[in-house]
Amino acid sequence: MHAIGGQILHVDLDSGKVTREPTTETLVKEYLGGDGLAVRLFVDGMEPDTDAFDPGNVLILAPGLFAGLPVPTGGKCVFLSRSPLTGTIAESVMGGSVGAELKRAGYDALVIRGRCETPSLLVIEDDRVEIGDASEYWGRFTRETSEAIRRDLGAAAVACIGPGGEELVRYATIDCEDRQSGRAGLGAVMGSKNLKAIAVTGTRDLTVADPEGLIRLDLELQKVMENSGAFVDDTKYGTAEFLNWVNEEKGVFPTRNWQLSVFEGRERIDPYHWAPKYTVRSKACHSCTKACGKLFEVSDGRYAGTVVDGIEYETLYSLGSECENGDVESVARANEICDLYGIDTISTGVTIGFMMELVERGIMNVEDIGVDCRFGNADAVPLLAELIGRREGIGVLMGEGVMRASREIGNGAERYAIHVKGMEPPAYDVRGIKGMGLGFMTSSRGACHLRSGVYALNLVGNFWRFDNVDRLTADGKGVQVKEMEDFMTVFDSLGVCKFSRGFFLMEGYAPFLQAILGFTLSEEELLIIGERVNNLKQLFNYGVGVRREDCRLPSRLLEEPISSGPSKGAVITEAEMNRMLDEYFQARGWEVDGMPTHERLSRLGLA
Amino acid sequence: MVSVLVSYPEYCTGCRFCEMICSLHHEGVVNVRKARLRVERPNIRVDLPLVCTQCITCGDDCCVDLCPENAISVVDGVVVIDQELCIGCKTCADTCPYGVIWVDEVAHKCDLCGGDPMCVRFCPSGALKFEEADEASYASMLTAMGG
Repeated sequence: MHAIGGQILHVDLDSGKVTREPTTETLVKEYLGGDGLAVRLFVDGMEPDTDAFDPGNVLILAPGLFAGLPVPTGGKCVFLSRSPLTGTIAESVMGGSVGAELKRAGYDALVIRGRCETPSLLVIEDDRVEIGDASEYWGRFTRETSEAIRRDLGAAAVACIGPGGEELVRYATIDCEDRQSGRAGLGAVMGSKNLKAIAVTGTRDLTVADPEGLIRLDLELQKVMENSGAFVDDTKYGTAEFLNWVNEEKGVFPTRNWQLSVFEGRERIDPYHWAPKYTVRSKACHSCTKACGKLFEVSDGRYAGTVVDGIEYETLYSLGSECENGDVESVARANEICDLYGIDTISTGVTIGFMMELVERGIMNVEDIGVDCRFGNADAVPLLAELIGRREGIGVLMGEGVMRASREIGNGAERYAIHVKGMEPPAYDVRGIKGMGLGFMTSSRGACHLRSGVYALNLVGNFWRFDNVDRLTADGKGVQVKEMEDFMTVFDSLGVCKFSRGFFLMEGYAPFLQAILGFTLSEEELLIIGERVNNLKQLFNYGVGVRREDCRLPSRLLEEPISSGPSKGAVITEAEMNRMLDEYFQARGWEVDGMPTHERLSRLGLA
Repeated sequence: MVSVLVSYPEYCTGCRFCEMICSLHHEGVVNVRKARLRVERPNIRVDLPLVCTQCITCGDDCCVDLCPENAISVVDGVVVIDQELCIGCKTCADTCPYGVIWVDEVAHKCDLCGGDPMCVRFCPSGALKFEEADEASYASMLTAMGG
């Protein structure tokens, strides 16, 4: 079969045993690759009630179906496991080359279970699979670990964890080439397995059905992309190019631990301000010809020497506005610390903002924290990020995330813990983007904008099947979120960047699939795959006890309307939350408690 | 002056699309190890596209001089391998300081895709260009690539 590596690699770290199974055509047709294939393998491989840090937890790396092939923006891979942050199934997509390299080694997925006795690394070179000693890399930053392993072993691609993953920060990342599987703490799963790194070198040919046809399609797509306004904005300013629009025109840019929705210091963290001064050049994910990464360097001042691939939109919120930090050099330094220690910038920043509010409210005090942890104190942000990464002092508690930390602190702290299912949210104040509010609630991995990507549809008002969407009503959101979740899951299974959704839509895939696989799939067939994958995720989550009542927004968003700005007064009421959930469950064909119905599972081939 | 493939590392984004499209175009398969150029990423600061189409500065490592079959020559300013003469001994690949020659039965090297290099067509950032270069500027590029 074209486009695939051909095998699935299973590695048991307890016994060191390595097994392989063929990647069947049926698996590809039902799950594509990436997220879809990973979910199928995870659900098949997990024993019930296995904790995220139990050696039995399964960790999967799966390149998207297009990864490793020249498809513009189509080189993504996914890590997937049970999250130590949310307890749910959680995938995190990344743009590093490790997935593509895995496929070049002949594998469409790597399934890891068990735990190494001592710090170890997994080395894959085509047929050769070995578990090696990683004690000399343990404790080292992601960047130097990856550089050292590539140098020492000649590995083509390395995915690794930093000290944050080793110390089991519940939102630790997995890093590859300064790109991260950032969310939900999959780096801590690696850390719990004593697995410092996965080093992959693949030398096999990947074939496509129609090489000339693929090159022709690539050229067409590249031209379409380069002629779009988004190309110029993304390549010049990165993912934050629309920050001003979200902040000033829509008024939904969370600020001060979600007390405010407009950040007055926006101008100083806006890439239109910083890109000309700090951006050295653009950086891309593997296979991406529309580079939105920016190499950001600080040459003088307190944070001189900072070098980071960023700063992304979400990070400008989490380490910026969330902490009322308008010092872009401080944001960059905190971003770099997160990357080096291997912790998620979103969860890190939201946890810092949460702690700043506790200080403001007198629930915590600065002396106990050991850092002047107040909104607007730019220097506190990198200091606290480092304590979390090292898991020292207050970082021990903060590394648990806001849900667990707030329960431990008590004294009313839970009210200020902004999360859904334990996951700290990204930069969309959903009170003014109600569909996104539902998306936070229904996402299989907790508060997440990427499972559905419905923020864009709601903010712009039109996309794909939907027109004239009003972001401020609860009407129609159930169907939108359901459809968009299935849509986005197709992207994560093919390995295509979600920023390409405006170029591809669904019908855009058909000729690519034809040229690559030699057969194609219709929009409806692709969406069924997306729906199948999302139902499998739900079956897992239901099985570990996730119920409808867990799909709740934090109380601040239900009780405190947006206080100022263009979305002033917007709130999601309890009644609206329930109405949107009802509509979503109905669209999904799930029982009121969240269990997928037999009828729906039958239709998806899952009964 | 003839047009050759020129690398501008300061613009490279590290996407490595050039490597993949090169192998697909020339070999009909995707395999970056069969590409006629490559991109190195020693650290976060550097993405380095390595190319060589013009014989200038290799000195003692010159593939043109070392080829035992005299299969490599400079035609109109561009290095060309005559695959009819090549015996696949790998001398050129082993000595190439840029690692941009690969060998199976015979040696393969950038042929500029007949005058419209595929890698340049897909390079979104201007890190690869097909342009006229005099000896001095080409030599400085090769130095920047570590040659």
